[in-house]
Amino acid sequence: MSYTIPIGPYHPALEEPVHARLYTDGEIISDAEVFVGYNHRGIEKLATERNFIQTIVLVERVCGICSHSHALNYALCVERIAQMDVPRRGQYIRVIMAELERLHSHYLWLGIACHLLGHDSLFMRIWDEREIIMDVLEKISGNRVNYGMVIPGGSRRDINDDLRRELLQVLEHIVPPVDRIKDILLNDKTVAMRTQGVGLLTTEDALWLGAVGPHARASNLKIDVRRDMPYCCYDEFDFDIPVWESCDVFARVVIRVLECYESVKIIRQALENLPEGPIHLGNKIPKVPAGEVVSLHEAPRGQLVYKLVTDGGPNNHRLSVHVPTFRNAPTIPTMLRNNTVADAGLIIACIDPCFSCLDR
Amino acid sequence: MQNYQVIPITAADVVPTAERMRAAGRMLIMIHGYIDKDGNKLVSYEYATDQGIASYAVSGADVLPTISTIYSAAAEWPERELNELIGVEFTGLDTSSRLFLPDNLLEGDGHILVMPLEELREKNIKAKEE
Repeated sequence: MSYTIPIGPYHPALEEPVHARLYTDGEIISDAEVFVGYNHRGIEKLATERNFIQTIVLVERVCGICSHSHALNYALCVERIAQMDVPRRGQYIRVIMAELERLHSHYLWLGIACHLLGHDSLFMRIWDEREIIMDVLEKISGNRVNYGMVIPGGSRRDINDDLRRELLQVLEHIVPPVDRIKDILLNDKTVAMRTQGVGLLTTEDALWLGAVGPHARASNLKIDVRRDMPYCCYDEFDFDIPVWESCDVFARVVIRVLECYESVKIIRQALENLPEGPIHLGNKIPKVPAGEVVSLHEAPRGQLVYKLVTDGGPNNHRLSVHVPTFRNAPTIPTMLRNNTVADAGLIIACIDPCFSCLDR
Repeated sequence: MQNYQVIPITAADVVPTAERMRAAGRMLIMIHGYIDKDGNKLVSYEYATDQGIASYAVSGADVLPTISTIYSAAAEWPERELNELIGVEFTGLDTSSRLFLPDNLLEGDGHILVMPLEELREKNIKAKEE
């Protein structure tokens, strides 16, 4: 018997405004469609009415989880067109914030994944550990989200030597819990049964459907903007790009755990080698000539693409924002095919979606 | 710093370029579009290359061939977005439903990135009143 099953929008398992339509043959999904647009806020349109400082505030509101990534990538666009040479200390602070953001984002998703798997004790454990990262972010920026740490030309706030030493000590407390979480996720029978062989996306499909970030790396696609097209001094840090060959939901769980180690590695190097000097070029509105540029940033969920077009005036002529979910969401129907309806929620969630960011 | 190179092409070059890029194993980063001060539509196809980002840009074309037959969903969603928001037509692309905006918003014409903000506000208020 064939059925058409609607999921969402605002489905309790996802808590994100997306609608999926599953075409099933009994319990098995034969095809699927994904519909977005439930939270379109016209941010790109609003950006054409904002100057280069106001836009930082605007784009930080595209996403509550990766707000620093948006502010950073927009600032990179402005700096490239205006040919601003950002001080190295400012760049290192940006990197520290970006990697802390990746850590808390990965913890957040891992917790949700455990909740969807039915492993609620691990969900609570992971979110408890996430609070350490949130406290660090608050200590540096004053906020748990929307940090306001980026301005065109550098970082807004400094990390003084006392705070730097304190953060290095906190890092020592982050790794042991990740070890324990990794051990459980890799060896727990419940996790294995719910994730292994579920939601397959082959390397070939990942490449041609345009998958990015941890989602692509879990399909054995070794792409990472930090290594492939370095920015913000990322070429000065030693870190690995983990990939996993099984191409299933299990791989997407494992990859995010492994990436936590790499982020800690980068933060430690940045703190230990934090250069002396200014953190920005001043806080005046920059004069930006006419030009256009595309900037890529490896946000926690994957490649974040910004295109900025300026006309020599005070505002953006065109700002285009494409978040990783815009690239990963089209892979959902492929992953859903030949899986059971019971796994649909987990498979949709496994791209670590942010549909509100996608709609922007 | 990321290298960004703009390479002007014509509408006729869009498909051959995409085929060449796919054959070389290049990822399609994004398809962008905007309207310049003179009202020309500019569409650019950004690919990841060894040198950085190669942007193949078409200027002044209202109709372009789809490359979703070559790059599948990686091209389909950006093309649908450009069709919806700035009104570029893509030959061979199914645009029977919108990607972002409700189908009945703005009298079936959802080109919000073309419309002046004031006009957009007035139309929104009118739609809510109705």
